[in-house]
Amino acid sequence: MNYKLLAENIVKKALKLGADEAEAYLQNGRKFRLRVRNGDVETVKQATSKGMGLTVFKEKKLGFSYTSDFSDESIEEFIKKAVQLSLVADPKPWNGLPDYKKGEIKDLGLYDPSVAEIPNEKKIKIAKEVERIALAYDKRITKSAGSSFEDDEVERVIANSKGISHTSKYSEAYFSVSVIAGSGSDMQSGRWSSHKSHFKDLNTIESVAKKAGERAVSKLGAKLVQTQAAPVVFDRYATGSFWYGILRALNGDSVYKKTTFLTEYLNKPIASDLITVIDDPTIPRHISSRPFDGEGKITSKNVLIDKGILKMFIYDSITARKAGVSVNTLTNRRNYRSRAYAGYLNIVVQNGDVDRKKIISGIKDGFYVTGLRGIGTDRPTGTYSCGSSGFWIKDGEIAFPVDGVTLGGNILEMLKNIEVVANDIDIRGSLNSPSFKISEMTIGGKK
Amino acid sequence: MKKYFKPITRRKFLKAGMAGGAVMATLPVWRLFSFSAPPSDFYVNPAVNLSKETLEKLIKVALQHGGEFAEVYVEYSVANEIVLDENKIYGAGRGVDMGVGIRVLHSEKTGYAYSDDLSFEKLKQTADVAGLIAAEKETREPVGLKSSEVPSYYLVKVSPDSIVPQDKAKLLWKANSIGREYDKRVNQVNVSFYDTNKKIIIANSEGTWVEDVQTLSRLFVRINAIEGSKRSFGYAYKGGTLGYENYDLKLAEDVTKEAARISIAMLPAEDAPAGEYPIVMAKGHCGTFFHEAIGHSLESDGIRKKTSCFWEKKGKQIASHISSLADDGTVLGARGAINVDDEGTPGQKNVLIDKGICTNFLYDRLNARLMKAELTGNGRRQSYQHYPLPRMTNTYLMAGKDDPEDIVKSVKKGMYIARIGGGNVTSVTGRFVFSVPEGYLIEDGKITKPLKGIQLMGSGPEVLKNIVMVGPDLEISGGGTCGKSGQRKPVSDGNPTLKVSKITIGGAKI
Repeated sequence: MNYKLLAENIVKKALKLGADEAEAYLQNGRKFRLRVRNGDVETVKQATSKGMGLTVFKEKKLGFSYTSDFSDESIEEFIKKAVQLSLVADPKPWNGLPDYKKGEIKDLGLYDPSVAEIPNEKKIKIAKEVERIALAYDKRITKSAGSSFEDDEVERVIANSKGISHTSKYSEAYFSVSVIAGSGSDMQSGRWSSHKSHFKDLNTIESVAKKAGERAVSKLGAKLVQTQAAPVVFDRYATGSFWYGILRALNGDSVYKKTTFLTEYLNKPIASDLITVIDDPTIPRHISSRPFDGEGKITSKNVLIDKGILKMFIYDSITARKAGVSVNTLTNRRNYRSRAYAGYLNIVVQNGDVDRKKIISGIKDGFYVTGLRGIGTDRPTGTYSCGSSGFWIKDGEIAFPVDGVTLGGNILEMLKNIEVVANDIDIRGSLNSPSFKISEMTIGGKK
Repeated sequence: MKKYFKPITRRKFLKAGMAGGAVMATLPVWRLFSFSAPPSDFYVNPAVNLSKETLEKLIKVALQHGGEFAEVYVEYSVANEIVLDENKIYGAGRGVDMGVGIRVLHSEKTGYAYSDDLSFEKLKQTADVAGLIAAEKETREPVGLKSSEVPSYYLVKVSPDSIVPQDKAKLLWKANSIGREYDKRVNQVNVSFYDTNKKIIIANSEGTWVEDVQTLSRLFVRINAIEGSKRSFGYAYKGGTLGYENYDLKLAEDVTKEAARISIAMLPAEDAPAGEYPIVMAKGHCGTFFHEAIGHSLESDGIRKKTSCFWEKKGKQIASHISSLADDGTVLGARGAINVDDEGTPGQKNVLIDKGICTNFLYDRLNARLMKAELTGNGRRQSYQHYPLPRMTNTYLMAGKDDPEDIVKSVKKGMYIARIGGGNVTSVTGRFVFSVPEGYLIEDGKITKPLKGIQLMGSGPEVLKNIVMVGPDLEISGGGTCGKSGQRKPVSDGNPTLKVSKITIGGAKI
């Protein structure tokens, strides 16, 4: 079936049924999920599925509907519902489709046809191997919590009544392993994975297995430290929730409603001048890249924070129109069940020029954070508070593992107190950052 | 088979509405109805009503590769949402999900496949793919299907799907005006009403054949307050397996006042101190703690795989002798109430910790088979796209005997946790962290000033031993949505007033 044509027809039909403007978003894909534990296949799940969401505007009122039921009568009902639902809403002058110009989407190499061709035996072999190697990594590793192989193919289609119509295919290949070290009251788990658009780009089985094993074993014997203020190094793989808290506070609509602590900071310094944050979904073959965003806009790079200066808040087309700003930020979309929302696609915090080891060796007494738990940043106030684990640094060396402590502070102070940024970024997901050091934070532990 | 959901006619519904609540009685809904009414309270695409013969055929196909057990799960669900924001109805939405999931179990293996195309040919293919997991020469004969009755733990007379959005909007407007009148420092009021209406059919090779309609609804109010450079927010909600007859303007007012109270109370909040302190948890709003920090570690998958910190603990003392924990799918109208779980097992009450002793775990069918345990009614899945996992329903710490006032008085310096927000836990170690959207300092037995940025941190097994006082005032709250292995599921939880003798508090101050 030609889903692009279907989306275009649904938009036309919505106009015929009374909508002033309409946008259809459609997903159609295939999934494979395999889990292995203790050398045996545990689950195999496979399916094809599809669904679409329809947004309509009528007299500047918004209606939304979605369905996975594609029978002719159901689709007709689904379109009618969206139009009818718009009548319930209040009109808002800023409602409507985005205004951006049409353009050709770029081929970012996000579809690898060979992903569909991987024989099941090979997938099983990868999952079994990664588990076997991880279990053998160290004799203190006692159990497997399972390994997996997954692959996906999905087509995303967007069409709207301003003539936008894009389709793009994506493939994903993924494998992971999770092992447990220790026993009794001293158990630690270690997990690692590789997730790529192209099968050939996956990390080696050995490297993923080794990383999982290392992460479990290294935390054994972790203890609490005294409550104190000390320098903190965030490991590159433990920075996600920190940046997520800041990005959430950049939400343009929260700024408009004055519900974020960053409201008054546009074009002002909010971070150390070592910090530059870019949303870049145009990196070829990267899993978080997208040729068009949740509203169908052709993607490009955006600098959000430039050498510590806050350059833009993040809007979708409706919230931007409401705030009266013209921006180029990108929208995200979870799936066809929801509408596009102001967000980011692939955050890349720019590398510094110092080795991580060198940063650690310069600390007399401090905390090297490798794991974070919890939400972190409170959007209204900017108060930061997170559970964490990692290692204590003593005289420039990793001394012992730490678990069960909390990190507390104010996110703006933390951003300003970033003293050094490492050169170790590894672009592997949608939030990518090098390691960095904050001069001082509150660490909550023993009395 | 017996139908447990009788579609009410439009007229009956109006009558029920008139008798039941102020909202219905004062609003001529049929006038507001600007589009045609659905044929019944809850329209279900007839395509999902697979016949007994079709279900039996699919089960047979699924077992043709020698699988030990096969199951067909059929779903049709409708979700509705309406949102008020910035003094306007932002929009209304509706969604439909329809599909069939087929599962085959073979010793420790699970084969799963699903389809949103309900043609027999496509379903046969789906059954065959799921069955491939077995790869045996001999095949087993399924038992013929026998329909069974299900109990009823939902409080649903009027399906929320039958209520026009214009009606639900009245609740939202009421909340908006109450919120804005509450205090001039209130600067944003966001209100939503969300409901899902799900019909499921479950049939398996052991002869189980049940049907259920699961209704969930929720009115949610979020309020932001601002004063100078200080900002805060509060939220409150009412929800559960509740029909629309449970909502009215008075309820919208009460929920809103609670959200507004919190936002104003937290405006002057100071940074919480970090360190180890005793805490008092307020009744009803801290159950999430027991769900996350204890409940997840009592789910049978982690027990069987020995990845839970409690895997060897059955029959042993794991908590103080005044602590008892239950998971109970039969709490009337609660968000986690289930007539049957997503494998067709009736909902039930299971005591997991009895006076400190670990007495039971939460089982789905797979783990109960492998561990030779009784089913507990905890096999739950997000949708036809997911296979069941052992999951909680309504989880609560059971009532004790200590006077709630005495509990607060017993703390010299500590924190009063009025409600717990989001949390997460690593089940291997039981280590957790929780945020606290409303918390206060306790000084010399008295609740004094509000605190922000409190994080509770520790491990479930440790905290269980440190529960030193428990009040008689158990309350089960509105609950939330629990995520596990990428599957989201509605649950609720509860607790009486209680004291934990020491816990690590994360905060910005020392």
